[in-house]
Amino acid sequence: MKTSERIRKSTIGRSFFRNPDRVTERDRAAGHWSNFLLHLYPVKVRKVEITFKYTAFLGVASVVLFGILTVTGIFLMFFYVPSPANAYGDVQTIQNQVAFGQFLRNSHRWAAHLMVLAVAAHLARVFYRGAYKPPKEFNWVIGVVLLVLTLLLSFTGYLLPWDQLAYWAVTVGTAMAAYVPLVGDQVQELLLGGPTVGAPTLLRFYVLHVAVLPVALVAVLTIHIWRWRKDSMLTMDSDQGDTDA
Amino acid sequence: MSDMSRRSFLSTAWKVSFGLLAAAGVITTWDLLKPTLAAGVDVIVKTVTPDAVPSAGVLEVPAARGYLVKVDEEEILALSEVCTHLGCRVPYIDESGQFDCPCHGSKFTREGDYIEGPAPRGMDEYGTEVVEGVIVIDTSDVIAGPAPGSERT
Amino acid sequence: MLDPDPRVIANKRLLGVVPGKPGVGDRKEPAEEDTVMVWPNLLIRHAVTALVVIVIVVLIAAFFDAPLREIANPTNTPNPEKAPWYFAALQELLALFHPLVAGVLVPGAIILGLVALPYIDRNPSIDPRKRQIARTAFTVFMLLWIALTLIGFMFRGENWSWVWPWEEWHGEL
Repeated sequence: MKTSERIRKSTIGRSFFRNPDRVTERDRAAGHWSNFLLHLYPVKVRKVEITFKYTAFLGVASVVLFGILTVTGIFLMFFYVPSPANAYGDVQTIQNQVAFGQFLRNSHRWAAHLMVLAVAAHLARVFYRGAYKPPKEFNWVIGVVLLVLTLLLSFTGYLLPWDQLAYWAVTVGTAMAAYVPLVGDQVQELLLGGPTVGAPTLLRFYVLHVAVLPVALVAVLTIHIWRWRKDSMLTMDSDQGDTDA
Repeated sequence: MSDMSRRSFLSTAWKVSFGLLAAAGVITTWDLLKPTLAAGVDVIVKTVTPDAVPSAGVLEVPAARGYLVKVDEEEILALSEVCTHLGCRVPYIDESGQFDCPCHGSKFTREGDYIEGPAPRGMDEYGTEVVEGVIVIDTSDVIAGPAPGSERT
Repeated sequence: MLDPDPRVIANKRLLGVVPGKPGVGDRKEPAEEDTVMVWPNLLIRHAVTALVVIVIVVLIAAFFDAPLREIANPTNTPNPEKAPWYFAALQELLALFHPLVAGVLVPGAIILGLVALPYIDRNPSIDPRKRQIARTAFTVFMLLWIALTLIGFMFRGENWSWVWPWEEWHGEL
């Protein structure tokens, strides 16, 4: 008997896995109900869904990029203090003294840019596939919310290095908020924490970037994936795109 | 109230309670996050004597985030260097004798009047007075710049 | 959904009238041969996608350093000053129109438009030939946005004047 099988069949193994290894289709289906991560997936999907042409796997790519950003972001948090006196120096320290620091910061930055690209491309692909049509309308709306959250995450992260690029891009970005009728000035003040971009702004953007927005994104993303799972067996009108039915 | 059953009263009551609680949460959060300290530049900035302001070009006052501009012997303007468009710093260009914003290309005359670009008005002006022979800028006293096409008076 | 005129069979009590369709939407279920097991067919593809994405990020990060300019200086705006690339189109609009239009109304309209899209486009067909208006409108918008992004990102130099990217490069990532 193989070691993995022995572990699976031991008392602890059975309590952990609860199901036999995936030999038959029945085992594979059962695995979806006993495995937390797999239960985000349906048991079966339509054949078109696994083709590259259909999705280009852009949704998965976005999730993977978000995972990379979470991991690299947590590493960066160990070395970064969000105050104007420390931030810039901390980023330099990360680049010059922390082992693999430059690589981590590069990964975080480029993955962030790629995630914006991947999410936007996912939106376009879903549009051209017509996958926002009834009864999936609301999942498209959730997707738009996720796009906005992605942009906000990227923009709040942009300020954190506290360099010239960051400072003025955020000055311009938040000045735009002031033009919103009625509440604009107050929204800008709330974002900045003062009359101009300064220490309170850096702290506020940091809190948004590492706590508020990621939690919001994960919550909304879970609903997005859950609804995808629920609808994964739906056949849309003339699904293959080559029949006139 | 008499035609309202106990069931519908309770069902309305809990919804209204949740609504009130949510509203209270929003207002509290807003108040909590509202900035209390006026951080940023100094409010009262002592500068130089009127004679020391050059009659050509401008004199930058970094502490006030602004410029002193001598229009004529009588009149000295304190212009804010913060672009009225989106808050970039507007530098003075010696060659052209005007202010050019690097962010979105707004242009202003040496007196801060609007020439072209997306800015909604001319450059803002600070209130000034001469105290003991020295020009004092009050950055809390902001006079909005003139509308495009008009000049400041 | 409900049969407007249920026929009561003699001597049988009518317990309820249920729609004869699956609960989710009113779409037909796919035929058995049109479906595949997620394990392993979809999972293996997702795993490969994850590997490819990770390799791409690792390679880019190994060869290109993230930019870090001088420390923030509130008294000196760099020239030109550029927003992040995904806002370059907005910045380009901001240079052309009043900020209320370019900074608030246009982005607001885009987001609201995207949110409302499935409720505006009620054509149920997903056949490309039957939804040419929607496809054309979306394509025009997308190309316009990409063009504005490229202009703002690559073709703007000092004081937001027009430059050719092969002569002067001002793009910042």
